[in-house]
Amino acid sequence: MNQTVGHPILRVQDIHKAFGGISAVDGCSLSVAPQSVTGLIGPNGAGKSTLFNIIAGLYRPDDGGIWFNDTRIDGLPPYEIVHLGLSKTWQIPHELRNMTVLENLVLGAKENSGEHLLNLFIRPGEVRRDEQRWRARARDVLKLTQLAGLANEHAKSLSGGQKKLLELARVLMTDPALVLLDEPVAGVNPTLAASLMDLIEKLRLEGRTFFLIEHDMNVVMNRCDRVIVMHQGRTIADGTPASVKANPVVIESYLGG
Amino acid sequence: MAIDSGTWINVGFYIYVSIAFAILALGFNLQWGYTGLFNAGIAGFFLIGAYTAAFAITPPTPPSIGYPGHLGGFSFPLPVGAVLAMVASGAVAALVALPTVRLRADYLAIATLAFAEVLRIFAINLESITAGTIGIPGLPAPVEFNPPDAFLNATVKVAVSAALILVLLLVLYFMAESPWGRVLRAVREDEEATMALGKNTFQYKLQAFALGGALMGLAGWLFVITLNYIEPTGSSAATTLGFAPAVTFSVWVMVIVGGAGNLRGSVVGAFVIYGFQWLSVQLKDFAPTELKEGIPYLRLMIVGVLLIVLIIYRPEGILRERKRVLR
Repeated sequence: MNQTVGHPILRVQDIHKAFGGISAVDGCSLSVAPQSVTGLIGPNGAGKSTLFNIIAGLYRPDDGGIWFNDTRIDGLPPYEIVHLGLSKTWQIPHELRNMTVLENLVLGAKENSGEHLLNLFIRPGEVRRDEQRWRARARDVLKLTQLAGLANEHAKSLSGGQKKLLELARVLMTDPALVLLDEPVAGVNPTLAASLMDLIEKLRLEGRTFFLIEHDMNVVMNRCDRVIVMHQGRTIADGTPASVKANPVVIESYLGG
Repeated sequence: MAIDSGTWINVGFYIYVSIAFAILALGFNLQWGYTGLFNAGIAGFFLIGAYTAAFAITPPTPPSIGYPGHLGGFSFPLPVGAVLAMVASGAVAALVALPTVRLRADYLAIATLAFAEVLRIFAINLESITAGTIGIPGLPAPVEFNPPDAFLNATVKVAVSAALILVLLLVLYFMAESPWGRVLRAVREDEEATMALGKNTFQYKLQAFALGGALMGLAGWLFVITLNYIEPTGSSAATTLGFAPAVTFSVWVMVIVGGAGNLRGSVVGAFVIYGFQWLSVQLKDFAPTELKEGIPYLRLMIVGVLLIVLIIYRPEGILRERKRVLR
């Protein structure tokens, strides 16, 4: 990251998205600083997951613009956004069920020559080397995420918490500069949640940026540098965890008295 | 002669028609078993391959009294016919895929089913190109013996079919079990997640659909070089299937019974399901008169019951998709 701190890695400007008559995101603007852990909170239906899907390119916004490292990314297909270094995980794990944990990870490989049909026939040596390299990398990531023992299990046989770990492990394989995490610790037991957040902290120190949706206030208040609050499709507060916690508008719409 | 010539010709017929079906099943397995694309127009791609091959390899047949003639008659060598059949079916499959593989599975099925029926109706009615329901006779065999020898002829056809399916299994295994094939399976499991892992899923679906179509075209070619004559309505004595939707449905059953996502399963499924059909024809000669007419219907019932039992007790098919353990 050769960016000056303060220059945002992600900038979302006046994004609108409606489904039928329902306005899910309604003029949302925000920015995320590089090497930060930024939280996104808000009541159910505030438009948080929709916003993540728009940023990742899975939905096309009706209006507005999104910049990632000063590259405009709204309108780009999801796989190109991933190649630029922005990846996301899912609130409900999207594990590839009938494939092994290791296969799930290797699929996150950025440039694996064997994934191009012609290379199988014209560059067999390169295909073999790439595949071995990515498998080794996947095994490292599995160790990092405490999944090494499950490498050759079908993803469908994992527990709910393990699937959350798999989500994080798989997204790391894409070598992202910015990771959007949709409720990374929901349904994860407290010990595992703590080690998961420790891992995120460690990865942040390596230079990655995390932008996460979470309802667990313990995680949000203790682990995030900055918290953004969404309500009815737009941001209503943005600041340090302490300032957000004390903000009367946030207390009324989300945190409760 | 060790075995009775008539029996061998009969068994040989069972083997090479089963192999033609196995190639159709492999194509569908690549599309659906691996990639999750439910193609309901298998018969259409089969038809394109068969007619392309027939146009390419038959000798010239000018229109005459009682025969409208047909396109081509180029007398090309048989391997050239195979390449042309694959290219034609593969190209049409790619064209069909461009607008349709973005559709949800059920709409993809409707679109491809309609496509295949439109093709068949064209084949029936475009007499100047396909000779209509009269069909294309005089299809050349792999080797023409002089004097004609039905026993040797059947042997050559079995040998050619067996060699073809072995080579195909090897090449397809190499492709489908590669990193490329792994992306296909990922698309089948969850296309959105695969996209979020940086894969251009549309490209992969297009490739799988086109390659599957090319395989179905190759099956059409094998059909043409092993039978004497093709026509589009399905009343051909040879298979009683022709290019009707029933071909598509049979291939579905073969892949489901054999095991989706397992290449050898497609071959097993084809031999089992076509085996029922072939046996029912053979048994007709031995059955008591009052049962004779009922045998084809009995076969359909047996296949139906088998399918239901299998789906309840072994939904993954005879040869299940294996777990890929990476080292």
